[in-house]
Amino acid sequence: MTSLFGITWDVQWHDDVGPDTFFTLSHLMLYSGSAIAGVVALTMVLRATVAQRAGRPVDPKEGGRTVRVLAFDAPVGYLVVGTGAAMFLLYGTMDLWWHGVYGFDAILGSPPHMALFSSITTTMVGSIIVFGYAHAERWGRIGLALSLPSLMTFSPLMFEAFEDAPLPFKGNIIMNAAVCALCLVLAVGIVGRPVFAVVVAGALAAVHVVLWFWAPWAAHAYAELSGLPVRDGVGSEPPSLPARIPMLLLIVALLVAGVLSRVRRWAPPIAGAATGVVTAVMLDLQAPLINDGPMVPPGILIGDGLTGLLLGAAAGYVAWRFAAMVRGERREPNPIGRTAVGPTVLGGTA
Amino acid sequence: MMPIRRKIAAAVAAGALVLLPAAPALAYEPVNVVHTEHVQAGPYEVTVGFSEWPLRAMQSMDVSFIPDGGIGGKSGTLHVTGPTRLHPNLANSTLARHPRKLDVWGLDVIALDRQGEYTFEFRIDGPQGLGEGQTRPVEVLSQPGPPLALSWAVCAIPLVGLLAFLVIAWRRHSVGRTPLHPPV
Repeated sequence: MTSLFGITWDVQWHDDVGPDTFFTLSHLMLYSGSAIAGVVALTMVLRATVAQRAGRPVDPKEGGRTVRVLAFDAPVGYLVVGTGAAMFLLYGTMDLWWHGVYGFDAILGSPPHMALFSSITTTMVGSIIVFGYAHAERWGRIGLALSLPSLMTFSPLMFEAFEDAPLPFKGNIIMNAAVCALCLVLAVGIVGRPVFAVVVAGALAAVHVVLWFWAPWAAHAYAELSGLPVRDGVGSEPPSLPARIPMLLLIVALLVAGVLSRVRRWAPPIAGAATGVVTAVMLDLQAPLINDGPMVPPGILIGDGLTGLLLGAAAGYVAWRFAAMVRGERREPNPIGRTAVGPTVLGGTA
Repeated sequence: MMPIRRKIAAAVAAGALVLLPAAPALAYEPVNVVHTEHVQAGPYEVTVGFSEWPLRAMQSMDVSFIPDGGIGGKSGTLHVTGPTRLHPNLANSTLARHPRKLDVWGLDVIALDRQGEYTFEFRIDGPQGLGEGQTRPVEVLSQPGPPLALSWAVCAIPLVGLLAFLVIAWRRHSVGRTPLHPPV
């Protein structure tokens, strides 16, 4: 969440104000997200290791099943969170070198930035695993309702590099749609209640509204604090990063909840496909509407819709199985022939 | 199971540990001009100042546009053409003050992605009427640093790693399989 607010602020700053150093407040906020996650993950891995050494079993609800890594016993969720944070630090140094060669950030989609974004995404995936294992607890469900929207908003940044790729579809749009499909189906699969898709979409809408108003305010207030003027001709455009968050996902979530409330084998891919196609087309139409830009050519719209449909279906299928993992894993080996516990809405395994 | 109060306390402590030693220091680079080109746009002479020379692809730079007699009472548009289609913000923009040098027009922190020849075309409106003109073709050399493919390969590791982890998790999660490491 901290990383998400940091990047939104930073992008708005670059757009509206301009001057940049390594030590702007928005950068600090962005780094802090990974730093806090890294410290928490390290603490939890050490706690689990000490507990295992002392012969106390670790509850899988505390970040998932433990995995032996070197001399440590790491709960799998915290292992992923920590790995993402460590990679962020590593690629931060590479980014520093990159700026030495190329100068300040002229583009968002540079290779080290992509590595940094995918490191943050890894941390977010880890936090979803952590909260997923704790889905029976209230804090786990609250965490899921915050971490899934964070992933939906943040992960498309990784695909910024594909924005202008000469493809029959827009890479960043369809990946965004696929991530939305993945997250909504995961939400239902992990918690086992169709209405949780609506909860997650509602949380995304709330985050969206907050970011929309907060980003320009933070950029401009910080400019005033630093005694810097806002760029000429700024003010009429919508905030740049929040403008890319899919709107009206609540409606899609209702559709997902409806599809997944029926006990059918094909429900997850169908819910994913529906999310993929609707979100891809919605993102295509939303950009020109709020930016007064040119309409997307019909060919691209159809390409995005179809690719979104296919990727969404795959995302729905994958999400259901991952949800079963998070719900069904136990520290004891499953006896042969007994099925793992899958998302209950299907009445058995996923 | 850790109580929620302790979880929150741990998160707050981690945040404080990170943020307290950090005091943001703001010191912005001055806008340097190491090379100039001159353009006659009708009645207006414009000096185009580059902060880097020679220019290299992908390297960020500041460009200043300094009309004779200052920018007061004048307005205009800039049209940049190059070997490839440029970002719309660069291809056609309204001349705006440079954010770090407010007495001139300019572009801050821009990069020209491809090697080749670029021209900067001006259309200026002011007290002496409309004027148009463009720079002679400005040469941009090849990009510095390692080959782009190598940079992308190194920077794809986190994403590939994340996908590999998910694939491994998927494969290990089959019914009746023992966990990754036997219970203690």
